[in-house]
Amino acid sequence: MTDPFKTEPFVINIGPQHPSTHGVFRIKATVDGEKVIDAEMVMGYLHRSMEKLAEERTYTQNIPFTDRTDYLSSMSNNLGYCLAVEKLAGIEVPERGNAIRVIMAELQRIASHCMAVGAFTNDTGAWQTPVMWAFREREKVLDLFEMTCGARLTCNYMRIGGVAFDLPKEFEPEVRKLLKTLPGFIDELTDLLVENEIFLARTRGIGVLTAEQAANYSLVGPLLRGSGIAWDIRKADPYCGYEKYDFDIPIGYQGDSFDRFIVRLEEMRQSARIVEQALDGLPGGPHTTQVPLALRPPQGEAYARVEGPRGELGYYVVSDEGPSPYRFHIRAPSFINLSALRDMTVGGTVADAIVVLGSIDIVVGEIDR
Amino acid sequence: MAKTRPGLVVVTREWTGAELAEAAERLVPGSVDRSVATACYLKPEKLVETMSALEANEETDFVHLTNLCGVDYWDHFEVVYHIQSFVRNQIATVKVETWDRENPSVPSVYPVWKGAWMQECEAYDLLGIQFEGHPNLYRIFLWDGFPGWPLRKDFLSMPGGLQPGLNEFAGVSRRDEPPVRPVE
Repeated sequence: MTDPFKTEPFVINIGPQHPSTHGVFRIKATVDGEKVIDAEMVMGYLHRSMEKLAEERTYTQNIPFTDRTDYLSSMSNNLGYCLAVEKLAGIEVPERGNAIRVIMAELQRIASHCMAVGAFTNDTGAWQTPVMWAFREREKVLDLFEMTCGARLTCNYMRIGGVAFDLPKEFEPEVRKLLKTLPGFIDELTDLLVENEIFLARTRGIGVLTAEQAANYSLVGPLLRGSGIAWDIRKADPYCGYEKYDFDIPIGYQGDSFDRFIVRLEEMRQSARIVEQALDGLPGGPHTTQVPLALRPPQGEAYARVEGPRGELGYYVVSDEGPSPYRFHIRAPSFINLSALRDMTVGGTVADAIVVLGSIDIVVGEIDR
Repeated sequence: MAKTRPGLVVVTREWTGAELAEAAERLVPGSVDRSVATACYLKPEKLVETMSALEANEETDFVHLTNLCGVDYWDHFEVVYHIQSFVRNQIATVKVETWDRENPSVPSVYPVWKGAWMQECEAYDLLGIQFEGHPNLYRIFLWDGFPGWPLRKDFLSMPGGLQPGLNEFAGVSRRDEPPVRPVE
């Protein structure tokens, strides 16, 4: 018997201007009916060639560039870059500087995950309410950044050898106020979504990755942990004194979109725990070491990584004793996380492709650099 | 107050070049070119075989290709691989050289790690390094027909010889480099 409906492959563009691509990113999906049979990624609309620009600027002048790669987590980017240069030049950071860095990086993780969780629920069809709730919390964190360094998104706060400014007096009470309300917000979001039948139907079993696949695809961050691999650079290779703080690594077991969402929610709680511990034990002393303005690190190379909100964020810097890096490479987590997109979307529907893309949590500024 | 747990502090073990060279030589004889303090240089013709041995072996267990990038050293190109193991918590640096400036080419490690797919595309797009055996090597950021390879050292980023940044910064002068060649 022949199929009563004759179908044929058809190419549709998801993006570049599409609310669910979170930027200028395009998926060229070949569909057969509602089913995706092939997906090709088209990117580069936001390419600014930061790696080339960095070769023409001093080490300190490059810090603002790192803000503009992943503009939702500029503090983590600053931190990763500074760590790479410090590793190359052998610079020690004072204890207070390290503690402030940890506080800022964890606050940034909370802000970034608010955005990720909010936008993801938006993609699944929970239109606007969760994203507005998440934005409300994110605003509070951005206010703290504004209070400390004057900028909300592109902070440019870390420096090679420490941080740019010491914390203002009113910072600590404001953070403690935030930490008091944050668990309530996460509970609220959990109540709203985790047992919501529509949300579960849209995310459970969608975009499943096994642990072996996740490792083979070079995935990092919540994607890797959602697939059951408890890998977190903060635990595995502590930097900035993370070994002093007590926190857990949440993991998922199914490896689907829902698990990645749950991992992000739980990571926000853990980040709040770290911020609290870091504030309690905030040491005195200087917040930065003096580093020459025209820094010329010795010949060599360094690869330093941090656990950014999207996973392992690495900076590979090669020095030839010049005033600027000889080679500057960013290991961008959202770029490399996309390598599994095709496998996760093929076989599902177009609507599922949107959910999968939302669960990867891409930032196009970082993909294209 | 934070609980400190002495004795439980773990740090990723960074393999030196000599350690990795020893392991690679044991798994695939004749695969190592030379080793320096931080990295091990493999021979291009044995690259894929050695990498899959390093990935599959239980002691090395480098299941995760963390970072892949190319570096231009004027007379030759290097491709740098950072590979790591989750279970053993270790990271190693592998390098491969290619000396052909007109048509630089190294074997693709896509058969070993699928995560190399996009990173090799990026290295091809920005440095013009061909990865043999890559299923679909294309210019991932720039458009087809873009003149030149931007991250090569002889690619002039701004026409007219303008060098932004450094000259405007007190006390810093450009290092002596071979003259840059503008792209036609």
